[in-house]
Amino acid sequence: MEISVIVPLYNERANVEPLAEAIVAVLAETGLEHEVLLVDDGSTDGTFEAASSLVPRMPSVRVLRLRRNYGQTPAMAAGIEHARGRILVTMDGDLQNDPRDIPLFLAKLDEGYDMVIGWRHDRKDKLWTRKVPSRIANWLIAKVTGVPVKDNGCSLKAYRADVIKAIPLYSELHRFIPAMASLAGPRIAQIKVRHHPRRFGQSKYGLSRIYRVLLDLLTVKTIVGFAARPLQWFVLLALPALAMSAGCIGTSVYRTLANGEESSTPIAGVGVLLGALAFFLMMAGMFAELIYRTGDDRVERFAMLTAAETARAAATARRLN
Amino acid sequence: MAETPITAKQPLELSVVIPVGERTDDLAALHAEYRRGLDACGVSYEMIYVLDGSRAAVREALLALDEPPERVRILELAKAFGEATTLMTAFAAARGTKLMTLPAYFQVRSDELPKLLTASKEADMVVARRWPRRGNALERLRREAFHRLLRLITGERFRDLGCSVRVLNRQVIDEIDLYGDQHRLLPVLANRQGFRVLEVDVAQSPHDAFRGRYRLREYLHRVLDVLTVFFLVRFTKKPLRFFGTLGSATFAIGGVAAAVLIAQRLLLGQPLADRPALLLACLFIVLGVQLFALGLLGELIIFTHARQLKEYRVANLVEAVAKDPVPGRERGTEAPRRTAER
Repeated sequence: MEISVIVPLYNERANVEPLAEAIVAVLAETGLEHEVLLVDDGSTDGTFEAASSLVPRMPSVRVLRLRRNYGQTPAMAAGIEHARGRILVTMDGDLQNDPRDIPLFLAKLDEGYDMVIGWRHDRKDKLWTRKVPSRIANWLIAKVTGVPVKDNGCSLKAYRADVIKAIPLYSELHRFIPAMASLAGPRIAQIKVRHHPRRFGQSKYGLSRIYRVLLDLLTVKTIVGFAARPLQWFVLLALPALAMSAGCIGTSVYRTLANGEESSTPIAGVGVLLGALAFFLMMAGMFAELIYRTGDDRVERFAMLTAAETARAAATARRLN
Repeated sequence: MAETPITAKQPLELSVVIPVGERTDDLAALHAEYRRGLDACGVSYEMIYVLDGSRAAVREALLALDEPPERVRILELAKAFGEATTLMTAFAAARGTKLMTLPAYFQVRSDELPKLLTASKEADMVVARRWPRRGNALERLRREAFHRLLRLITGERFRDLGCSVRVLNRQVIDEIDLYGDQHRLLPVLANRQGFRVLEVDVAQSPHDAFRGRYRLREYLHRVLDVLTVFFLVRFTKKPLRFFGTLGSATFAIGGVAAAVLIAQRLLLGQPLADRPALLLACLFIVLGVQLFALGLLGELIIFTHARQLKEYRVANLVEAVAKDPVPGRERGTEAPRRTAER
């Protein structure tokens, strides 16, 4: 199997049929062996029935139904796990992505990239509730994780299956797939994609997610940046507290010495508290080392995925040509 | 030992598990009552009495029953492990494709058991609710308060979790790991795992009565159980959401308080020296950061175990080759049969 297109669906009954038809049409044109994996994330509006009714007509369509509504990330993870293609393409089920862009992604992957990310450069959404927060979030994510992706929110992406299948995806980390994938250091390309306004159904996002995105961002930073050396991370976090503590205690000691008697400066208490905090954080770092050591996911595993082997194969191929 | 060959030929349809803890009624009478109800179900079944710790009197009473060994089995735990562990041990030893739990005391009328078994054909788990229910105003209030709290915290609308009469598919306990005191909240856990859980009204046994054993400590335990389950269900995969929220809130309180104090010192010239409020504010800030750090530790734990903690469950997969929907949610017939005889 060459290509799997994965579409998570949640209450998208009206969109299922046009979407599947469009994808199958595009894939048939490429002439490659393909499947369309529709993941029904516990919809309550008959999405599953609508999707399964397509199967007899379109034999390349497979429908995976989850037991209840788990959210977009688990639905995506389920699709990735059950897909059989060598290349996986993910996209939204709301027809805002255009399946006609898929061949562009395949061409990019053929150039030797491990991961191709869509960029909705001409986005058809509301400005203040969708576009502006998204712009800020993307800037922040790029800054913090060091993975300069212009549009993390675009679901239209294509991956080498062996790489993406190894990346842990849980909670609501689907927004951070490029950042999480950077554990494996994949070669990432970004291409512009078409974006359509929503035709049927309701948008399932709101402004409330900003706070959650911020917390998730911190999670991703901790994992991607420091999973293998957490003590460093916690010491880094402890440094400001340590510095402030030293300043406070130093000031109060200086004052005591200057006055020649012990004065009741509250600043000494503050210094002691901050010192305790710094100590706690460093101990937490030790604890984190213990966690990593006893855990069963190793950063080396990701390094192996994208390392020398593929790079050399590509180079040899180029030389031979 | 000797009883295995019988079941090897012909799979048992139902295993009835009766954990025997501190609270028991006259077991001979209870057994006779259960037998009547179970015989009316029209399925092959075994009954497993699990003694939680050494209970010589109970064992004697059970041995005195005039029953073939493959019908009534007795499992004795070496010490009292608590009901959740007792149940899990018994489930591991059970040979039936469906499992039923019954209390070692009268709770429901046994002629209602067939009704539960019928209902279980359409669900993964059936929970009995004693209704109509006797009891005075105080008991009703107590019950109401607990289930309100449960609904408030977990959003689940079960109305009689004190009733341990339940029927479940083997798959439910294959996927859910019970420990501590979570057995009471098994329906909540099963529901969150995506299983279909039904609540069925059954008649209360005339011998069922509130036994006045509930002390303050037990209430505390109940509430803590609900909180544990709440945390496990909502935040297992995202500990930073939980600790981070608590931490930010604490940090914010401390930060605002400190800012006010410093502003008063700088702008109004109020001396800080005699104000312990500064230390309090600082303490809040410190606590907030600590909570946050715990959240980060939690995220590391989840990440390093992400491959085992699968979040979703597949109901079914429809594809062209199989033509018909392949039921992913089997009755549990193919579940590996586990034996724990010795």
